[in-house]
Amino acid sequence: MKEADFEARREKAWQEFEQLVSGLEKRGPAPQGAQELPRKFRELCADLALASHRMYRSATIERLNTLVIRGYKLLYRQRREGWDRVVRFVGQDFPAIVRSEARLFWLSSLLFWVPFFAMLMIASRDLDWVRAILGPDQVIAMESMYGRESDSISAMRSEYGSNFAMFGYYIWNNIGIDFRIFAGGIVAGLGTVFYLVYNGLLIGGSAGYASYACDGSAFWTFVAGHSAPELIGMVVAGMAGMKLGVGVLRPGRMSRSRSLAAAAKGALPLIYGAGALTALAAVIEGFWSAQEFPAMVKYGFGAVMWAMHGVYFLRVGRGRA
Amino acid sequence: MVQVVRMTGEAERRLDTLQAMELAEGVEIRLRIAGPFPRGGALLLDLLIQAGLMLGFGFLVGLLNLAIPGMAIDGVSMIFWFGVSWWYPVFFEAGKWGATPGKKICGLRVVQKSGSPITWGQSVLRNFLRYADGMPYLFGGIAGVPTFGFALVSMMATRRFQRLGDLAAGTVVIYDRQPSGPMGGGLPVAEVRAPAVALRPEEVRALTAFKDRLATWSPGRQVEIADHVSELSGAKGAAGVSRLLAMAKWLQERN
Repeated sequence: MKEADFEARREKAWQEFEQLVSGLEKRGPAPQGAQELPRKFRELCADLALASHRMYRSATIERLNTLVIRGYKLLYRQRREGWDRVVRFVGQDFPAIVRSEARLFWLSSLLFWVPFFAMLMIASRDLDWVRAILGPDQVIAMESMYGRESDSISAMRSEYGSNFAMFGYYIWNNIGIDFRIFAGGIVAGLGTVFYLVYNGLLIGGSAGYASYACDGSAFWTFVAGHSAPELIGMVVAGMAGMKLGVGVLRPGRMSRSRSLAAAAKGALPLIYGAGALTALAAVIEGFWSAQEFPAMVKYGFGAVMWAMHGVYFLRVGRGRA
Repeated sequence: MVQVVRMTGEAERRLDTLQAMELAEGVEIRLRIAGPFPRGGALLLDLLIQAGLMLGFGFLVGLLNLAIPGMAIDGVSMIFWFGVSWWYPVFFEAGKWGATPGKKICGLRVVQKSGSPITWGQSVLRNFLRYADGMPYLFGGIAGVPTFGFALVSMMATRRFQRLGDLAAGTVVIYDRQPSGPMGGGLPVAEVRAPAVALRPEEVRALTAFKDRLATWSPGRQVEIADHVSELSGAKGAAGVSRLLAMAKWLQERN
C-alpha cells in the first residue's frame, strides 16, 4: 500500500476519531458513539505504528501522534477515590504504616525531643542561653503571652482576634511547616534534620523560658490539650522527610532516581497523616486551649489526648492490613 | 560510502526534546518535553494568578469586615491563603486539565513518565516538593525569596528536564499540543528516481523530512543542505535538490 493510498483509506476514520475526542474533551454529556472510543483508539494506534514503521510523511505521523496522545489522556484518566478510602486510611492504614516505619519514627523523635529536653534543662540553670537562642522577638512574645504581670492568653487573643482567627493561623502556619519538613528531606534528609532540631530547640527553649521566667502554668495549661497531635504530627512529617532522605542516600539495588520515587510514594501517606494530625491540633489550639477552664481539666484533657494517640498508633488497624 | 548525516539513536535522543514512550497498546508516542524557560514563565503566571486570587479575596473580606466587624474573617483569609499557596497547583494538576492555569496558558501539561495523566498523590508530591526546588532562598533564610536554583540544576542534570519534585513523583512536563510547524505536504515532484544505495531508516526519514520542509527554505538554503549529500544525489546545486526530491518521492511511493 502506498502512502497516499493509506492516507486516503484511513482519513475518514481519523476525522471521526478527532470529532469523538473533541466531543469527549468538552464538558457535558458524552457524545454519541463514546463507547466506540477504545476500539477506535486501538485502530489509531495500529495506524501510527504502521506510519512510523514505514517512515511516512512526518506531518502524518505528527497528526496521528497527537490524536493518540489525546485518546490516551481520555482513556487512562484516573477515577477520583471516594470517602471509603479516607475512612480506611484513618481507621487502619495510617497507624499501620507508622508502625511499619518504627525506625524512622524513633529517629525523627530523637531529632526533636533531644534538643527539646536539652533546652528545658538548660533553662533551669541559665536563662541567658535560652534568651540567646530564642532571640529578643520571641522572648518579648513569650513575656506578653505568659508573663507574670500580663493577662496571659487573653493578650494574644486580643492581638489576633477571635478563636477562629487563631485557628486559621495555625492551619496556615503549622501545616505549612509540616510540608516544609517533608520537602526538606529530598536534600539528603538535611532539611528535615534541620527543621526537627530547630523546632526542638525553639519549642524546648520556649517551654523552658515560660516555666522558669514566666508564669509556667499559663504556658503548660495552654499547650497541654493540643500538644499530642501537634508534636506527633511534626514527628510524622519528619518521618516522611527522612524517608525521602534515606531513599536518596541509600538506594540499595535500585537506581537513585527510582529509589527516590519509591521512597516518595511510601512517604505520601505519612504526609497526609501529618497534615491531618496538625489540623486536629489547630482545631484544639484554636477553640479549646485558650478557654478559661480549671488547670486540672486542661491537664486531664491533655493526658487523655496523649493516651488516645498512644493507643491509636500502637493498636488500631493491627492484623487487618 | 555515502556521507549522509548519521546520528546514532543515543545522540539523537540527547539532542532532541522528543521522548518516545511505548504504550500498553504496543505503539510508541512521542512527547515533547518542556524545558526550564517555558516552565519558568508558567510559574510566574501562576504566582500572578495566586496573588490576584489573594487580592480579590482580601477585597471581599474587607467588604465583609465592614458589614460584620470581628476578627473571624482573618482566620478565613489565612485558611484561604493556605489553600491557594499549597493546594492550588495540586488541585489543578490532578484535575482534568493536568495543568495549573499558568501551565494551561503556556500550553504545558504534567504527565507521568509513561505519558498518562498524573494521580492525586503524584500531584501532591511534585507540588509540595516545589519548596525544596526553590532553594537556595535569598534574604531571610528559609522564609526568603526562592531562586529555584535546585530546580534548575536538577533539570539540567536530567534528560527529561525533571526538577526534584518531578523526580520524586515520576512526572514530566510536556507541551500539550504538538506545535504545528509550517510543514505542508511539500512540493509536487514530477521525477521519480531510486537511490543508488540502500538507505538506513534514519536516512530515509531525513530524505522524507527534506521533501516535507523544502518549501520553508530559500533556494540558497535548499542547495546548501542538498550539497551535503551530493555523493548520494551525484549532483551539486539545484540539480542535487531535484534529485533528492525524486528519491524521496520514490521512497514514499514504493510498495
